[in-house]
Amino acid sequence: MASNPVSSVPPTTHDRHGLRRCLRCGLPETYETIEFDPSGVCNICRQKEYKDGQVKWDDRKLTLDAMVEEYRGKTDYDCVVPFSGGKDSAFTLWYLVTQFKLKPLVVQFDHGFMRPTLRANNERTFKRLGVDVISFTPNWKLVKRVMLEALIRKGDFCWHCHTGIFSYPMHIALRYQTPLVFWGEPSSEYTAYYDYKDDQIEEVDETRFNRFINLGITAEDMAGMIKHDFDFDFRDLKPFTYPSLRELKKLKVRSVCLGSYIPWDVKKQVEIIERELGWKGDQVEGMPWELYNYEKIECSMQGVRDYIKFLKRGYSRVTQMTALDLRNERITKPEAERLVNEFEGRKPPSLQLFLDYIGVSETQFNDIVRKTVVPPHQPDFVGMSEAPKTWDFDRWYREPTPGRA
Amino acid sequence: MIGLVDCDLGNLRSVANALDCLGQDVSVLTTPAGFDDCSHLILPGVGSFAVASARLRDRGLAAAIQAFARSGRPVLGICLGMQLLAESGEEGGTNPGLGLVSGTVVRFDSKHVPMIPHVGWNDVHFNRAHPLLTGVKDGVDVYFVHSYYLPANEAQVLGEADCGQRFAAIVARDNIGGCQFHPEKSQANGLRMLENFCDWNGQC
Repeated sequence: MASNPVSSVPPTTHDRHGLRRCLRCGLPETYETIEFDPSGVCNICRQKEYKDGQVKWDDRKLTLDAMVEEYRGKTDYDCVVPFSGGKDSAFTLWYLVTQFKLKPLVVQFDHGFMRPTLRANNERTFKRLGVDVISFTPNWKLVKRVMLEALIRKGDFCWHCHTGIFSYPMHIALRYQTPLVFWGEPSSEYTAYYDYKDDQIEEVDETRFNRFINLGITAEDMAGMIKHDFDFDFRDLKPFTYPSLRELKKLKVRSVCLGSYIPWDVKKQVEIIERELGWKGDQVEGMPWELYNYEKIECSMQGVRDYIKFLKRGYSRVTQMTALDLRNERITKPEAERLVNEFEGRKPPSLQLFLDYIGVSETQFNDIVRKTVVPPHQPDFVGMSEAPKTWDFDRWYREPTPGRA
Repeated sequence: MIGLVDCDLGNLRSVANALDCLGQDVSVLTTPAGFDDCSHLILPGVGSFAVASARLRDRGLAAAIQAFARSGRPVLGICLGMQLLAESGEEGGTNPGLGLVSGTVVRFDSKHVPMIPHVGWNDVHFNRAHPLLTGVKDGVDVYFVHSYYLPANEAQVLGEADCGQRFAAIVARDNIGGCQFHPEKSQANGLRMLENFCDWNGQC
C-alpha cells in the first residue's frame, strides 16, 4: 500500500466525526489537557506508563505512613475525609479506617442530586465503619441560579458542585482544626494538569482549585454575575469560596489524594468496597449498565452532564470509561468502538428535569451549548436518540409545574 | 513571630503581606527593642548599600542583627538585605556589611551584562540541598531587580543564576540565609522558600 508523504497523521487516527483520537485509548483531541506524541499516543496514556513503571510506590507508602503518624491523635479527629459515596471516596474512607485505624470526620457535600442507591450505600458505609459525619446542602434557589450562569458562561452547569465539594471540607477542616484532609483519586489518573512525578505530588489546594476546579469563576465572580437579577446574600456563596490561605497555612493543612501514595486500581477497589461495605453500583443514564455500573452513580444529573459533554466535545463518559479500560488492557479496541457507537450521544430523560430547574427551553439550551463547543468538533443537535430511563428516574426531584401547588 | 527589620528602605509591605498569607505573625522592627520576641529575622531591602549600611549602624540595628544571628536563630536577607549580610559592598563607595556571610558585593560589568540593572525573571540552579530549598523546584525562574551582586565562588552559595555574569542567587551559612531575588514576588517557588525559612530551626 502506498503511503501518503504529505500527511504525518494516518487517517485511522480520526473518528467518524473527524476528531483525532489517541491510537491507544481513543480519547479525542477535544479532551482537556490532551496532547499526542509522534506515535499518536496521548499524554494520559504516557502518565499511566509512568505510574506503573516509574513511581516508587513502596517509598510513597512510607511517606503516607509517616504523614498519618504525624497527625494521629493531635485534634478531635485524625483527618477530614470529603465523601460523595462514589467508589473512590468509599474506598478512601474504608482504607483509612480499616488499614490505619484513623478517626476521620466525614464531610458530605450534598449537591442536590443524590440518588437512592447512593444514599443507602452511604448510610450502610457510615454504620459499618462507625464514623462521625457532617452533611451539608446548599441553598437550592441559589444552586438553580448558579447552574444557569455556569452553563451560559462555561457550558458546564456543575460549578456549585465542583467548588462546593472542594471548598466546603476545607472550611470544616478549619472549624475543627483538623489539618489532614484525604481525597481519593488524583486528577493525574485522567487529566494532565498534574502528573505522577515525585516532585509534583498533587496538593489539593487553592492553586488546584483555581487552576481547573472552579472553571475560572470564583464565588466573588459569581456574585457579580448574578446580582443584577437574583436576590441573595453573599454569605449564601461562602460554602463555594476557598478559605483564606493564611488560615490554612496557620493550621499547616495538608490536603492530599490517597491515590498519590498507593497505586489507584478502580476495579480492585470496587471489589473491596462491594465485599466489605456492601457497596452497590447503579444504572447511569447513557452508559452501558452492565459494564459500567460503578462510576458516577452519585448524581441524577450525570446524564445531562455527559450529554452536554458530547455536544461540546464529541465524546461522553462511554469514551472515558473505555479509554481507562483500554489503557488497563481490560477491553479490546473493537469492543470499545462498539460501545461508543452504540451508547454515546443519546439524549438523557433527565434533560427535561434539568431544563425545568434552570428555567430554559430545549431550544434555548441548545443555543447556549452551541456557543461553548470545543473545535474542531461540530455538534448535531437534531435527531438524537433517547437513552432509557434508569430505575429511579421517577423518584428524582421535579420543580413544581407552574399553576399547580 | 517573624521580625522584619525596617530601616525605611523599600519593600517591607510586600514581604509582610507574603508572610501574612503564609499564616505567620510579623513584628516590624525599627529599633533594637523587640528582637528578643522574634524566632526568625528577615532583612528586606530595596535601595543603596551605602545608605542602608549607614542606617543600620546609626540606629543600632546592625549590632542587634549580629547579636540575633549569634543566638543561632535563623536570619534571612532579601535582595539588598542579602547583600548587607556580606562583609562589604561597593555601591556608593566601599562600606561595611554585617559580615554574616563572606565576600564583597560588586557592580555587574557592563561588558558582560548588557542590561543593568538585571530586572525580571531568571532561572536559579541549586548547588546542594538545604532546608530552605525543600520542595522548591530547581531551575525555575524567580524575580530579580539589582545592579550589584555577590560573586558565586564561595562555598556558602546554595543557588546560582546567570545574566551574563554568574552570581550568588541564594546563600546560606550556618543559621544565615539570603536570596538576591524577591521570594515574595516569585510565585509558588518563592513563597515555598519563605515558608521553609519560617519553618527552619537554623540547623543544617
